[in-house]
Amino acid sequence: MLTGARVEDQLRGRTLRLDGISRHFGALRALDGVHIELHAGEVHALMGENGAGKSTLIRILAGLERPDAGSILLDGVPVPLGQPAAARAAGLRFIHQELHPVPALSVGENMLLDHPYPHRFGLVDWAALNKIAASALARLGLDHLDPRGPMSALGSGDQMLVRIAASLIGGGAWLYVMDEPTAALTTTESERLFAVMAELVQQGAAILYVSHRMGEVMRLADRITVLRDGVHIATRARAATDVDRVIADMTGRDLGGLFPARAAPAGQAIVLQAEALSSPGLVRADFDLRAGEVLGLAGLSGSGRGALLRAVLGDGPRTGRLTLGGQEVGRSPADTWAQGIAYVPRERRAQGLIMGRTIAENVALPYLTQFARAGVFLHDHRQRQLAQDLGERVRLKAASVSQACAELSGGNQQKVLFARALAGRPRVLLLDEPTRGVDIGARFDLYRLIESLRSEGVSIVLASSDLPELLGLSDRVGVMRDGVLTEILPASGLTEAGLLARFYHGQEMQA
Amino acid sequence: MTASLRRYGGVLGMVAIVAFFALSLPDTFLTARNLLNITQQVSMLAVVAATMTVVMVMGDFDLSVGAMASLAGVVAGVLFVQGWPVPLAVGAALAVGLVGGLLNGILVSFVGILPFVATLATLTIFSGTAFIISDGRTIFGRDIPASFSGFARDGLALGMVDGRSLALPNLTLVALGVVALVWVVLEHTSYGRRLYAIGGNREAARLAGIRVVQLRFSAFAFTAVGAAMAGLMTASRVASANPTQGDGLMLTGIAAVFLGMTLTRDGQPRVLASLAGVMVLGVLDNGLTQMRVDSYLREVMVGLIILTSVGVSALSQRRR
Repeated sequence: MLTGARVEDQLRGRTLRLDGISRHFGALRALDGVHIELHAGEVHALMGENGAGKSTLIRILAGLERPDAGSILLDGVPVPLGQPAAARAAGLRFIHQELHPVPALSVGENMLLDHPYPHRFGLVDWAALNKIAASALARLGLDHLDPRGPMSALGSGDQMLVRIAASLIGGGAWLYVMDEPTAALTTTESERLFAVMAELVQQGAAILYVSHRMGEVMRLADRITVLRDGVHIATRARAATDVDRVIADMTGRDLGGLFPARAAPAGQAIVLQAEALSSPGLVRADFDLRAGEVLGLAGLSGSGRGALLRAVLGDGPRTGRLTLGGQEVGRSPADTWAQGIAYVPRERRAQGLIMGRTIAENVALPYLTQFARAGVFLHDHRQRQLAQDLGERVRLKAASVSQACAELSGGNQQKVLFARALAGRPRVLLLDEPTRGVDIGARFDLYRLIESLRSEGVSIVLASSDLPELLGLSDRVGVMRDGVLTEILPASGLTEAGLLARFYHGQEMQA
Repeated sequence: MTASLRRYGGVLGMVAIVAFFALSLPDTFLTARNLLNITQQVSMLAVVAATMTVVMVMGDFDLSVGAMASLAGVVAGVLFVQGWPVPLAVGAALAVGLVGGLLNGILVSFVGILPFVATLATLTIFSGTAFIISDGRTIFGRDIPASFSGFARDGLALGMVDGRSLALPNLTLVALGVVALVWVVLEHTSYGRRLYAIGGNREAARLAGIRVVQLRFSAFAFTAVGAAMAGLMTASRVASANPTQGDGLMLTGIAAVFLGMTLTRDGQPRVLASLAGVMVLGVLDNGLTQMRVDSYLREVMVGLIILTSVGVSALSQRRR
């Protein structure tokens, strides 16, 4: 194994050049003559709306797809195209939001899966294996991870860090392609990742960073490349650009402020009231929610934001008092949906959509009885009409409501979940990370939808790890820590920094 | 090309099988009498496969249907011996099916045992019970009332052919009725739509307000009552009841649903596709028997055909 210093010498000055990369799918132009240079020692952000060509570019880099035209040069030497092994040999490593660890094995075993295990007397030498893993972890300052511990005990953030550390074993890796790495991470986990990224760049690596999160990109990137409709729009140094410039490059239009102007709250009547509400992950929360109000829930992941939403939804056992318009709230999702509480879950694939079924079926799912003759026999026409109407309301882009959800983009899938939540004219809307992994155009639409629902008097609880989103949409923000709703503050006058300080209050400030 | 082969490959395969038998057995295979005979031969299997589809839609399955069919037949037979009138004995046998199904439902949905394990256990329980109450003997002859065994021999008269009357067998009518009922329930009611939603994504369905536990519970009852009915049909057809005569229905029933799944566009269980699967197996069995193919060899061939069609379907799906 190479020592840190020698790796640095070797890497210094490495460049990967993508030259005139084009890829067409029939008439669709996924990439058209894209030209990008990636230098060792830089964080290079790649931005663009969904469908701009980022994923295709990544697949070409990984050798999973062959471009129709163009070449990839490593320090001037062509890299064979369409061969994953060649990409690996060129020192490229890919970090996705969806990792596929082997949870039953230890951290160290997971790290050495691609390598021959060290042997001694014909048997696996566990001590040596753990030592190799530990030294890779130590190089990135990841001393909190134990190679002997089970992989299944780690959160997705730590699993990602383990993956990165594993890439150091055997040497050769210098260019990390990170696709939406923070989408599933908490703030703390993201900060750890950022520290590791800085360490990698320090050691001479390059990072191609793909993210929808503008704040991260502005903070981390040295240079920013924007793609739009498969065309390379611009590569600018971070210092020579700003958020508005990047958004304009991405969209070709001025969004005129991402967040809508907010009307005064529609009413003062209390709709939902919780007293000492407790559930797994939530400790004695007291709050009320007024008509036409957005209550934001802020906190680190695991702080109880999602648990509070699930307690209101009736998912799992709960204690304490919870009333909707003076009536006790039901204790199962079936009951609460019927009472007018609607829910957009955090994981649209695992918890949200029935991917193989149509948009219309997914929208009508919680209210099948209401859209059936005699409550039993399906009324397909009415269901489709409902999905059609709500689809327009949420600005869903689909060929037809009979399309399967699996065929939609992430943003449009999220819009189907919103359409479902609106199908029963809810009084209370529970939103868990509603714009996670959603491109900026769809995000723009969803923000306007949330504001328009609010102005109609719908009460909304919004749990989000995206602080600008929380502050831009909420009337009040509840701060959560370790399952406790510590305080509820008016959103006006709160800042991201102020919120972050409240999350960490009483804890050691991380990185 | 691949897509249309996948879409219509199963249908083409069916046509090929029928054409093969029609050419090999020119005088006997494609006759009205033989075709009606096939519908009667497969009627028990059709009932089991149709009701099995109900649980398979949710991604579950029920291994206890064969044992339940045997048990229901034996229960009716034992009650006949004790002099119960036919309608009461039949009702009691169906009630045993309902109770067995509710037991499966409780184990799978309320207790949370995997369907494979739960229904494997109830399979042996049902089977053992059938042996206990019948004392391991076959009930036949005068113990079986003529009105019960006569049901399977009768049918809806269709007219005379070659001087012999031709009838649509009662058992075929029962099977058609069950298939139609399951079709309405699965394709045209909110209940069926919910079952498909559970099969698609159980967690998402639950969070969208679907009562997953109750629905799984009830669906298992459906399947077991269907199995009991098939057991009674078998007993009526052979005018006897023994504690193993329905056992074969389980594997063939599941095989028929799997065969059917290769015919649907989205690869999901659909009751009409299951019926098509039943017909494929029924036609094969009938044709190969007429060609005097050895019954053990027949089993091997049926197994190979199931593997081929499911395998081709899986491979073409992977290539998409």
